[in-house]
Amino acid sequence: MTRPVGFAVLRVGRASFLLHRRAALVAVLLGAALALAAVAYLCVGESFVGPAEVVRVLWGQPSPDAFVVGTLRMPRLAVGLLAGAAFGLAGSFVQTVARNPLASPDVIGVTQGAGAATVAAMTFGVAAYDTLPYISIVGGLAAAALVYVFAWRRGLHASRFVLIGIGISVALGSLTQLFLTKGDFLVAQQAKVWLTGSLNGRGYDHAAPLASILLVLTPALLWAARAQRSVSFDDDTATALGVRLGRVRLGLIVLGVVLASVATAAAGPVDFVALLAPQIARRLSRTAQIPLLGSALTGALIVTVADLLARKLFSPIELPVGVFTAVVGAPYLMWLIVRTRSRSGGPA
Amino acid sequence: MTGNRLRAEGLVLTYEDRTVVDGLDLEIPDGQVTVIIGPNACGKSTLLRALGRLLKPRRGSVLLDGTELARIPTKRVAQEIGLLPQTPVPPEGITVSELVTRGRQPHHKWWQQWTEADEKAVTEAMDRTETGDLAERPVDELSGGQRQRAWIAMALAQDTDLLLLDEPTTYLDIAHQVEVLDLVRQLNRERGRTVVVVLHDLNQAARYADHLIAMKAGRIVAQGAPGDVITGDLVQEVFGLASVVVPDPVTGGPLVVPGAPGSTDRSARIGRHG
Amino acid sequence: MSRATLRRATLRRAPLRRAPLRRVTRRRVGPAAGGAILLALAGLLVLAVLLSLAVGSRQIAPSVVIDALTHGGGSDDAQVVRSLRVPRTLIGVMAGVALAVAGTVMQGITRNPIAEPGILGVSQGASVGVVCAIAFLGVHSLTGYVWFAFAGAGIAAVAVYVIASGGRGGATPVKLALAGTAMNALLASLVSGITTTDAQALDEFRFWHVGSLSGRSAEIAGQTWPFLLAGLLLVLAMARGLDALALGEDVAKGLGHNVPLLRILGGLGATVLTGVAVAAAGPIAFTGLAVPHIARAIVGTDHRWVLPAAALLGPVMLLVADVIGRVVFPPSEVPVAVTTALLGVPFLIALVRRKATVAA
Repeated sequence: MTRPVGFAVLRVGRASFLLHRRAALVAVLLGAALALAAVAYLCVGESFVGPAEVVRVLWGQPSPDAFVVGTLRMPRLAVGLLAGAAFGLAGSFVQTVARNPLASPDVIGVTQGAGAATVAAMTFGVAAYDTLPYISIVGGLAAAALVYVFAWRRGLHASRFVLIGIGISVALGSLTQLFLTKGDFLVAQQAKVWLTGSLNGRGYDHAAPLASILLVLTPALLWAARAQRSVSFDDDTATALGVRLGRVRLGLIVLGVVLASVATAAAGPVDFVALLAPQIARRLSRTAQIPLLGSALTGALIVTVADLLARKLFSPIELPVGVFTAVVGAPYLMWLIVRTRSRSGGPA
Repeated sequence: MTGNRLRAEGLVLTYEDRTVVDGLDLEIPDGQVTVIIGPNACGKSTLLRALGRLLKPRRGSVLLDGTELARIPTKRVAQEIGLLPQTPVPPEGITVSELVTRGRQPHHKWWQQWTEADEKAVTEAMDRTETGDLAERPVDELSGGQRQRAWIAMALAQDTDLLLLDEPTTYLDIAHQVEVLDLVRQLNRERGRTVVVVLHDLNQAARYADHLIAMKAGRIVAQGAPGDVITGDLVQEVFGLASVVVPDPVTGGPLVVPGAPGSTDRSARIGRHG
Repeated sequence: MSRATLRRATLRRAPLRRAPLRRVTRRRVGPAAGGAILLALAGLLVLAVLLSLAVGSRQIAPSVVIDALTHGGGSDDAQVVRSLRVPRTLIGVMAGVALAVAGTVMQGITRNPIAEPGILGVSQGASVGVVCAIAFLGVHSLTGYVWFAFAGAGIAAVAVYVIASGGRGGATPVKLALAGTAMNALLASLVSGITTTDAQALDEFRFWHVGSLSGRSAEIAGQTWPFLLAGLLLVLAMARGLDALALGEDVAKGLGHNVPLLRILGGLGATVLTGVAVAAAGPIAFTGLAVPHIARAIVGTDHRWVLPAAALLGPVMLLVADVIGRVVFPPSEVPVAVTTALLGVPFLIALVRRKATVAA
């Protein structure tokens, strides 16, 4: 035996990296599927544009369809891809720290917190448009902190954490409704569209903050990819292996909450993507922890395909993409509940 | 003298408000197998957790090479002290070989995840524990004995001079218990590693310990070579059990036989419960 | 040991071991004290009704309210009271009674302190039933679609309970809540899918997203009451059975109750009551959660007292929530389902924090 089974070793000079072969292969395939889905997404709409033409536009060559593909469909696709990837990453971090596939940012109230804060800002008219993502982050973090504070009682019991999270998310959902009632009719209409988790009418001004935040967070993501492995043991074993658990957990949670909030600010609370993507990616890769890249790609793929269906299935009527992700995600959550084996509780 | 690497001074250990260990001094002899015994809830596992910095002392300190453990970065500690908790939980679906590889984590830098030292340590750990055949198997699917061997392999791959094991024989049948303990002794004899094991079986402790520590209610009742420590009086004091200590027919060491001298085993049992 | 001793032994042991619902397992009130408490609660309800009739975007003095009710009169105030506030209050009372009693029964038959029509997705199920009836079958009258509300509520209830019971550990509070969350999300997205595709009727449908008491006509109250009565009678008939079930399944069997039948009848009663509430006022969560706990805190654990107390307290909570919703952001109104959720969630959190068993 020269190396752990299923891994390849990459050597560059004195540096060496372990690569999970199957996870790498799955990531490549997911990337290819995502590219196909993206092209399909750009082809389909009120008018069909041939794939060849789409590729021409993507390469920046002049084309009669440049407006439809480049100006109408591209920005929306960009929001979908980025938000899906962010949801996938966020779910991966929160589920890893909670060691529980049920604890995803949309089940425990993070996205609802981001939503409530954003709607409050919209209806009370305090915020300029481009500050919304940051308000959303504040809302998400506040919701997570609230859940944490209420669930803390001589330690953090996993089920209490989830129950309180559900409660807080219902309360925040109601708060959002309250703000909607309060607000000016037009703003309320706008907020409502946003709240259904729809990509309709999303453009580069939604994608830009999301992209820049993801870019800024890249070093943190590289750290997280390694940190995720170290917290997948129980507390004692992890500590024995030299992991600073408190710090690593906090870092991962904050990262997850920030990503979920930013994605929510851009695309609205698209249900269940953060729940689904990490688990699908893990099952495909058969790794011992959630593969980050795979999870991000899966998230992006889910949102892209769901929005494609949402746009086309009942055309000319467009459904919010959140409807589709919920129709797939909710039964998956139910299935998870049925098959849960109670693993050691541990802090959530 | 105190050339020993791992020591504890004035140790007070508490869980929430309950004091489990109160003012304990201790020295772990280098290069020996130390076994800690005692009745349930006497604080032996708590002590082990403190020695492995899993539990912060309320007062007093654990010293590694004269430095307070709490002041050493946890990753540095992990390069010196390996610890296997009583019921470790593996990441879901992890294979044996990956689990063992995780033991190398304290030695990794982010750009060096698989060095020759890693390869050597992992290969040796798996050879010693005979887990090579299990390399591809998920840990979840192993039998109790196999699983314990895989965990020990992980702790071995960590390649530390000090190794702390919390009841490594729990949930194992007698053959596997002996197998695990033989392995522990072999590690100590061949590589000179210092091993601290918490056990609850007196006779196993007597057989495998170089140095025996008997605890009761958070304090050390006796310590030293098993032949010196284990007497009928000690067993009576620590476990509240009447017994006769005879020479072990295999090793010649002490062997504890429960029961009051001069009475039958049966009446001894009735006497204890009635 | 004789059979009787055995049974007594089980009785004594059982509450400790398998009655997570109650701390004080066998606290009872005497008939006199109970009667007095119920009378006081009835007084409270009368106050809440008066409040609901008097307060709103147009404040009306209680004397005017009473005058309008007893002597009629053509003033604007009297008109508002009679044509808007009376139906609204009436529907509030009926929905409150239905939800509180449904919650009590659900907590009783599932032996689970967080069971409630809203959390378990039963209300949302009824809502989907109604929306389907309106969208696909063109049923627009309450007497028509109430049956679909029953069907939807029943299917959702059974599905959530079956899902939560699967896997290890049976239907624990967490699994019930999660299954309910999933069911709620699924059904809400179904409703929003149907309503988006059927844009012309969007306004009619919006009501089925978030429960509200506003804009419902008196006619609806008139059509609802027979169903409400049927549901209540069904539930009251099994009060003793619920008491026995509180002591554990085996004990209930030992006391000669048919446990599966109890569960089926209780489930049926809760389903009918939830369906009635949803058909009248749309999906409203948390009334059914908080009220039974408050009722038990006041009158003890005997369901022959808990059920009436809950039936009196439910409308109080709902009407007060509705009044709050009318006055916070005038001139717009906050739907009552929003206010009950905001009032109810702190209650859920307190419950989860207080009882170790809820989080088990």
